Amino acid sequence: MSVTLYHWEPNANSGKPMLALMEKGVAFESHYIDMLAFDQHKPEYLAINPQGTIPAMVHDGRVLVESTAIMEYVNEAFDGPVLMPDNPLERWRIRWWMKFMDQWLGPSFSMIGWSVFVGPMVRKRDPAELEAAIERIPLPERRVAWRKAISGQFGEAELAESRRRVAFGIALLEEELGKRDYVGSNGYSLADINIFNSTYSLPLSQPDLAGRDKTPNIMRWLKRVYQREAVKRTWAMGRTDLAHRYSLIMEGID
Amino acid sequence: MLVLYHGEPNGPSLSVLAMLAECGLEGQIETRPINLLAGERHTIPGIAEPLARDIGVEGEGPLLVVDGEACQESVFLAQYLDEVAGAGLQPKDAYTHWQMMMWCRRITERCAPAAAFLGNQAYAAPVLAAMDDAAFDAIIAPIASADLHQRWADTRSGAFPDAARTDSRAKIADAAALVETQLADGREWLIGPLTIADFETYGWLVGMVDLMPDTFAEKSLTRAWMARMAARPSVQSALARAGVTHPERVWAPGPEINRWG
Repeated sequence: MSVTLYHWEPNANSGKPMLALMEKGVAFESHYIDMLAFDQHKPEYLAINPQGTIPAMVHDGRVLVESTAIMEYVNEAFDGPVLMPDNPLERWRIRWWMKFMDQWLGPSFSMIGWSVFVGPMVRKRDPAELEAAIERIPLPERRVAWRKAISGQFGEAELAESRRRVAFGIALLEEELGKRDYVGSNGYSLADINIFNSTYSLPLSQPDLAGRDKTPNIMRWLKRVYQREAVKRTWAMGRTDLAHRYSLIMEGID
Repeated sequence: MLVLYHGEPNGPSLSVLAMLAECGLEGQIETRPINLLAGERHTIPGIAEPLARDIGVEGEGPLLVVDGEACQESVFLAQYLDEVAGAGLQPKDAYTHWQMMMWCRRITERCAPAAAFLGNQAYAAPVLAAMDDAAFDAIIAPIASADLHQRWADTRSGAFPDAARTDSRAKIADAAALVETQLADGREWLIGPLTIADFETYGWLVGMVDLMPDTFAEKSLTRAWMARMAARPSVQSALARAGVTHPERVWAPGPEINRWG
């Protein structure tokens, strides 16, 4: 029952299967793919996932891709704590929230994150090296996204739309967590893992929209999730200081 | 109390109506037809929790109201129906289930927006363009989602850029090629056993046959699979609900073409 996970930081898409495996108590071999060094487009990784997207998981010789779908697989394939409730309405709600994040809100987080973080980080490299790296990207849509990020060519209108969606999505999440202890149900589930991995840094990245006073429900939920042992173990696998910075925000939240 | 509000049996309304019958839930869940292109999904009474209706990624799809909570997204409605009925239309094996969900994501994220683009351009745009301003404004006034609101306005104004049309046709051709390749080993259904993936794929592709005949003419396995789907009593039951001769020509603004790789 060997499990190998190819992932970047315990963040966004990479963080989802990492945390799901930790919650289930499944031991896995970790392969850190440095996204900012374009490891995901190198031949050795494309041999695992020809699309060049991260994360990817190999279980008993079978390759699985797409972070939310991998999480659902992990929950079904392994023993351990159940991360989906039995109630069909709650299951529907959890799936709805994951899709809302994966297809509607998450891309807006990504566009903003890439414009202010990923782009400037990789832009400093040698232009010829960058161009060669972009040419190796298998998916045309990803080539466009990387070119825009590297050259800072996100349009003002599309960034404004992303900012609108982020503000709107944060407000919806705040409302949801005022109704229930967790996203979509009163129990910790795949929806919490999914959304936590894209919102853990909100108080830092969106201080005008999220924080102790503006979004108390989100902050209480973040703290509950952050205090989970599996989250701590997952965060310890990161190579950046994100976890430490985040822990400072959580201090003082009831 | 459960009520399924649905449009003409095409796209996501077709897949969910067929799933309702396939799961043996016709008669147990009340169904009410609505005119999606008249904006009727946005004025359904008695919804205490409208979030999924208002912000649904799918756009104008069917709505299942469960005790006042609006539930949307055809794949998840299909899963709900399957799980309530215990119908077995999702593989029990985790890996095969992953394959089915990945297939459905491919359809909902790439094929569905393309089909909605082409279907709306061909059939919905002329209907909306013929309306006077007041009538159209009254239809879109209750739409909560700003981006869905914009897709309605774009449909009416004929904002269908050539590049997006070319991209959409390529995505439908890709989906048809995917189906053809999948069936090449002689299997009867897309994932092996009959699953939600067959209904979701059929719902979005069946209306594309008239719009891209050359694409489907050369795909004999795909056409045979579509004929098998069309012959299923559940699909026949869904199509029997049609209020028009050609439900595959009835469209309303659907999911957006993804804005981030």
